[in-house]
Amino acid sequence: MARPNEAKNGTPSRRLAHLWDESRCIACGACVLACTMTNQPEMMAREEKGWGGLASNIRRIESANEQGRPTLLLVQCQHCDDAPCVRTCPFGAVYQDDDGLIRLDARRCAGCSYCVTSCPYNVRWFHPDTHVPAKCMGDGCLDLIAHDQQPACVQACPAMARDFGDLNDPESSVSETLRTQRSRRLLESAGTEPKYFIVEGS
Amino acid sequence: MTPADLHLQVDVAHWGWSIAWFLWFVGIAGMGSVAYYFVRRSALIITIFASLTIGLLLVVSHLGRWWNLPRTLYLMVLDFDFNLGSWMLLGIATLSVHLVLTLLLLIGHLPALTRRIAWLKWTETLRAQAGYRGLFAGVGAFATVYSGFLLTQAAGIPLWNTSLIPILWVVSGSIAAIAVIELLYVLGLVDANVSAAGVRIGMVLDGVKLLAVLGFLHVALSYGSAGARYGAILMTQGDLALMLWGGVIGIGILVPLAIGAYTLLREKRKSLLAVSAVCALSGVFFLRAAVLLAGTFEPLVL
Repeated sequence: MARPNEAKNGTPSRRLAHLWDESRCIACGACVLACTMTNQPEMMAREEKGWGGLASNIRRIESANEQGRPTLLLVQCQHCDDAPCVRTCPFGAVYQDDDGLIRLDARRCAGCSYCVTSCPYNVRWFHPDTHVPAKCMGDGCLDLIAHDQQPACVQACPAMARDFGDLNDPESSVSETLRTQRSRRLLESAGTEPKYFIVEGS
Repeated sequence: MTPADLHLQVDVAHWGWSIAWFLWFVGIAGMGSVAYYFVRRSALIITIFASLTIGLLLVVSHLGRWWNLPRTLYLMVLDFDFNLGSWMLLGIATLSVHLVLTLLLLIGHLPALTRRIAWLKWTETLRAQAGYRGLFAGVGAFATVYSGFLLTQAAGIPLWNTSLIPILWVVSGSIAAIAVIELLYVLGLVDANVSAAGVRIGMVLDGVKLLAVLGFLHVALSYGSAGARYGAILMTQGDLALMLWGGVIGIGILVPLAIGAYTLLREKRKSLLAVSAVCALSGVFFLRAAVLLAGTFEPLVL
């Protein structure tokens, strides 16, 4: 029984990636809200106890720099090309689909949390009702991209700080931005080949 | 300085007390199986069977979607799609085989049962077969090693990403197995000569465990990433310090070492051996609980 949109021969035909421009972000939280509304609307009034705050597939990390100025980091599933969660899932529930996205087939999930402890980015959270370890992309956003639309966070961002597209396509806006602007990835040393890019500006 | 982005795995992934008990029971059953190679007593195999069964029940009860487990296994077999790179899958397979091997030995130790059900009589010969006992010991040792690599493979928790954990688990599991034999001796279920050997081996293993625990903490504190360091600080100075210094090292290592020295130098007293065994078993549990609960995700912002 094939997993939804499973990559043929283990090689995805696309490499869809998220891009977050921290120099444009105004920290309004619209992406976080849109994510929950689209993917887990039942969680809108409920707290994610592990991280604290709204249960969303986007984790918001607020801090301060050395000068004491507030900083923000938005983190979500990095859809790693070499994802540890895919390696560790005992039942093969976590897999890379044909779009290069890391997905979870809930039919095969027993809720062991191994994918949660295996993620260096701490971007999975336990849904209190389904007990499925939730993360980006949720079903709502998968439905959007299946209909050639952008994910909810990209659509909701008022500052155009988010983008989503195919790294294999040199003409995509994501590829264009990465060619022309300075960017970084989180925990490069983990060797997971993440596909979540933080644009630092030109 | 405490990093801004700090999350304990127990708050997010919920690997808490039930997993600590699971690791403890698997350690007792696993290294107990190695001990069974030499000490073929009914009481020991009953202890191994009970430990393994309770451990497995605990881990299944911990699953967030335990009711879906039959379907996950069915789909895995239906598609012949096994993620052999997952230590958890290897563990499930190993523990299943271990349980069957244990059950067969247990049946062989129950003459009342084999008398009633004649076709089970062949199980009585298993304990005398060195090959079967060797297989049983090997599977048990591997189950203990697996329970260590289970943590090591969790890439999100840098404190655990060290091969010292499987070593620690094997050493402390061996201590637990010896402690079980000591308790069986106190209860009159094992001979005195077996117990005497156990005291000496136990003391050596206590020393090795002390070095391994200190080495584990030293590596994390001195060379670990921020997440590993924070976990080690939790264990040495934070909320888990009492469990480490009092439970793992004080109760779990120093008390059994002192009683072992008294036993070898002065006299052997069953009451003291019982105290030593209970302390050693407690220390093995505290070690697993402390390492598990100290697990912290790598902070993305310092």
